[in-house]
Amino acid sequence: MARRRLDTTTTSLLGPPLVWLVVFFLLPIGLVGAYSVDALHGIDLFAETHKVTLSAWRDFVHSDVYLGLFWKSVKMSLIVSVVVVALAYPVAYYLALSGTKRKYVLLLVLIAPFLTSYLLRVLAWKVILGNEGVLNSFLVWTGIRSPDHPVSQLLYSRFAVILVLTYVWVPFVALPIFVSLESLDRRLLEAASDLGASRWQAFRRVTLPLSMPGIMAGFLFVFIPTVGEFVTPSLVGGTSGYMYGNQISDLFSTGFPDWQTGSVLALFLLAVVAALTVVFARFLQVRQVTAG
Amino acid sequence: MDDARDLMERRLSRDKFLKLAAAAGGAGLLAGHAGAAGAARARLSDESGKLQVLDWVGYEVPQLYGPYLKKYPGEKPKFTFMTNEANALSKMAGGLKPDVVRPYVGYVPDFADTGLFQPWNPKLIPNLKQLNPAMVKAGQYKGQQWGIPEDWGFDKILYRTDKVKPKERSWSLLFDDRYGGKIAWFDDLNQLVVAGYYLGFKKPYDQSDAELKQSQKFLKSKKHLARTFWTSETDMQKDFASGDLWIAYAWPADWAAMKAKGLKVAYMTPKEGAISWIGMLMLGKGTPRPMHAHAYADAWSSKQTGDWLETNYAYGHSNTLARPKSKDLLKALQLSNPRSLLEPNAHIDRDIPRRALYAKLWEEVKAS
Repeated sequence: MARRRLDTTTTSLLGPPLVWLVVFFLLPIGLVGAYSVDALHGIDLFAETHKVTLSAWRDFVHSDVYLGLFWKSVKMSLIVSVVVVALAYPVAYYLALSGTKRKYVLLLVLIAPFLTSYLLRVLAWKVILGNEGVLNSFLVWTGIRSPDHPVSQLLYSRFAVILVLTYVWVPFVALPIFVSLESLDRRLLEAASDLGASRWQAFRRVTLPLSMPGIMAGFLFVFIPTVGEFVTPSLVGGTSGYMYGNQISDLFSTGFPDWQTGSVLALFLLAVVAALTVVFARFLQVRQVTAG
Repeated sequence: MDDARDLMERRLSRDKFLKLAAAAGGAGLLAGHAGAAGAARARLSDESGKLQVLDWVGYEVPQLYGPYLKKYPGEKPKFTFMTNEANALSKMAGGLKPDVVRPYVGYVPDFADTGLFQPWNPKLIPNLKQLNPAMVKAGQYKGQQWGIPEDWGFDKILYRTDKVKPKERSWSLLFDDRYGGKIAWFDDLNQLVVAGYYLGFKKPYDQSDAELKQSQKFLKSKKHLARTFWTSETDMQKDFASGDLWIAYAWPADWAAMKAKGLKVAYMTPKEGAISWIGMLMLGKGTPRPMHAHAYADAWSSKQTGDWLETNYAYGHSNTLARPKSKDLLKALQLSNPRSLLEPNAHIDRDIPRRALYAKLWEEVKAS
């Protein structure tokens, strides 16, 4: 009787999330898969005939253009992820280990920018980086650059995309690192000190390894969404900051409708991200973050 | 009038008709005066909700459909914006059901063939008689009026005369190494057509495989010179005004906007020929608001709208009586010469038989 009640409870608890997962995750992926082999298709402009085909997959695998763009996006995303972690770590370290009583106030300050729209935060950078923007105006004012020769590479470039994405993601990454550092057993640091370790040695041999799950979680937090990012590059990236996510978006909407190729690109991205997540989760034991 | 009644009866189900008739009658009895009866009659003619228009940014201003608002006071259409024709179709594929959409002339047959549109009833658009007959004909497909011609203009090169010294009047300015990082291309497969004209192909709209390969290779080799591929005219104008851009593939309104900002600009007609276009209003299939849609097209076709469009946006208008206030504008854009957009003056936008292939190649240029 108790077992039956347990089963009922389990079913009622698991049911809604499972239904959610199937309807809003697995089913859409199935539909995208169907589009990728032309089993489903968007609007026809030319009354084409359709049959299931792997041609779009073949074209993708043999296209150095799409794979090249993917690799470019991976590199940009890796740079962003590494820079973000490097910037977020000292912030999280200070908040977690400095012993300041105002750490939660500071944490609130850190995440305060999220109270404004993502789009506004990105667009604000256009005002800062443009030819007549804040930075160039400052450079002209100081006499470093002449008004006729502003630094044009600040906006509509890979640099602009990396800079803006870094700005956007630093607070996100600081949080998991903060959690992992705060749950650190301070007695280990005392023991290291008692055994003659310098502060740097204690950090390198105790703090850093123990906060590694938080670092990896933060790294994944950034890498996974930014590798498919398209909003920021479309606003500040120009032609050189164009990323893989922009191509997917263009194939579905802003360009000519080619849902088949767009679906192939989207599924490839999903597969790579899923594989990376599994690898990271398996070898770096991300669950330690939550376990403390 | 018969046509109007046909359309009304076709769209109103019997139940709805009875409900509306009851509402009209009931309101008349309760109010007991002519005003209320008029309101009820207005409700009877209300075709369930506001007109849904899928159009380009900038065309939502009320001055462009004044007569419509006069006919239907307080019923400003609901606008959704498109960035190009493919974007419009994608929005419709996503479930948007506009009553009126504005593709450009080359897309009319393609749009008609999607099954998402229906022909207009010319008898319900009295101003059609004032429109340029050649343009009206361009909106016909399989013997029916699928597109109502309204705005027309050019794709040419806008550049800063104080910063840029072109070697010649040519599309080559878009590919000029001296101005790398200051150039904007239009994010559209039309760039392959432009490349075709620049490379001297006979049929840039219908290039052979070898020609397309050459056009694509050329664009890929020059892509690093382009700072942006613009989709939003507003964004491009902002970048141009701020000095981030000096040269852009542009429309007449961009030239007018930059002049209005006091910039020293020219709107160059390339020796290979400008590209010209005609905006065509198309009617959504099964629209629940056919009378509103026809009234909207009629308003857009009026001289009043044409005058305003030419004066304020520097685009041409198909109404042959329309004139801009500025004589300089009239001369500079040859607005009084409707043949200015036809061969040999310009290459009018036309159907691209292998549009999907052009699109794929253009996407590859962007991704390269």
